[in-house]
Amino acid sequence: MNTLDSFKQLVFSLLQQFKKRNEKQLRHLKDSFLKEATLKTSKLYFEIAVIAYVLSKITSKPRLMGREYQSELLRIEKSLAEFASGVGKYDDATLLRLLKNVEENVNALERLDQRFFRDLVSKGRMKLAATMYAQGVSLGVASEISGIEKQEIQEYAGNTMMFDRVKEEVSIGERIKKARKMLGE
Amino acid sequence: MKNKDLVCDTSSFISLTSSCLLEILYFFAEKCKVRFIIPPGVEDEAILYPMSKGIKKYLFSAIRMKDAINDGVVTRVEKEGTVSEAELIMKLANNLFYMRGRPVTLIQRGESEMLALALELDVRNILVDERTTRLLIESPFKLKEHMEEEFGVNVMVNRRNMEELSKRIGNMNVIRSSELVILAYEYGFFNKYQNMEKAALEAALYRIKFAGCSISFEDIEQCLNQVK
Repeated sequence: MNTLDSFKQLVFSLLQQFKKRNEKQLRHLKDSFLKEATLKTSKLYFEIAVIAYVLSKITSKPRLMGREYQSELLRIEKSLAEFASGVGKYDDATLLRLLKNVEENVNALERLDQRFFRDLVSKGRMKLAATMYAQGVSLGVASEISGIEKQEIQEYAGNTMMFDRVKEEVSIGERIKKARKMLGE
Repeated sequence: MKNKDLVCDTSSFISLTSSCLLEILYFFAEKCKVRFIIPPGVEDEAILYPMSKGIKKYLFSAIRMKDAINDGVVTRVEKEGTVSEAELIMKLANNLFYMRGRPVTLIQRGESEMLALALELDVRNILVDERTTRLLIESPFKLKEHMEEEFGVNVMVNRRNMEELSKRIGNMNVIRSSELVILAYEYGFFNKYQNMEKAALEAALYRIKFAGCSISFEDIEQCLNQVK
């Protein structure tokens, strides 16, 4: 299977899993798109990962599955289907515009029952940017791909366990020695 | 080589300003004559960008950093050869690891520019809170292992690029803001908190960790056990 086919398959899988309201599979898809975003340094893959994250969040909330939200959920599905059918036909810039429609429909759904200052899509962008940094690319690369400020990513990362999960080769004692040496001790 | 020069990146300024610890730079500049140097890219990212865009959340941090430049505590240095050196570092670093046959983009301009400036100025000491650049300098194979674990694929290494990069940046001394805080404690910065100096150090270390300085809880504990 070539790259385009596997990309198409992933995108259609995203649509299918959202239609099935399958939170777990949407989360798996988020991980797959995010890894591809890092490997390809791709804004498009990153934005799809954000949408997959947001859709998994939506499907995890029983209150948003109620009848009063059905028309908004269908709008999301429709815009996602339009995006999926554009894969292979359009360039990244056009696909990103189509993805923006999905984002707008998600925002419209959220506005019906807004509970947080930060919307779901922005929260998703931030979380996934910090995940990229945690996975190994630099703060600058994570910021460049996600469009999130370095400050925001760094502060978010500081409140996770990412710096505790990789054992350092240089001990803090050695580092302090180096710092003392710099001061001429 | 200039012993008391310290080339700083954006991440360390982010940690220090958001922890309200920028005063430590003033303290070391005055007490130990340390010169804190930044390339233009750091000024752009940490000061000019938030100020020109009016990003309210980071405006005060930007103003304080600008003030530190105006006070001569932080020096912005622009060197002619930095651009081409930064390009080269970026090319080497971003063609170092290969996953599924593709080179992985590890660092961007801001990070490579800071390293290039340190090389151009022949300064070995750099202040970096960001983890990836630090691992790239100190233990690139650790970074490789970490990425293999995260991505579940083999990471191939371009040995020639690894050697070239290591020749350039491998002997740099990386210091984090946390080490500056610890030294500040040893030099009496926290003496103003009478009888609470050590508690202040502990609080400052945790604050700087939560601001994104890449230090582990274990490191903080170890450090607190070692200092008097």
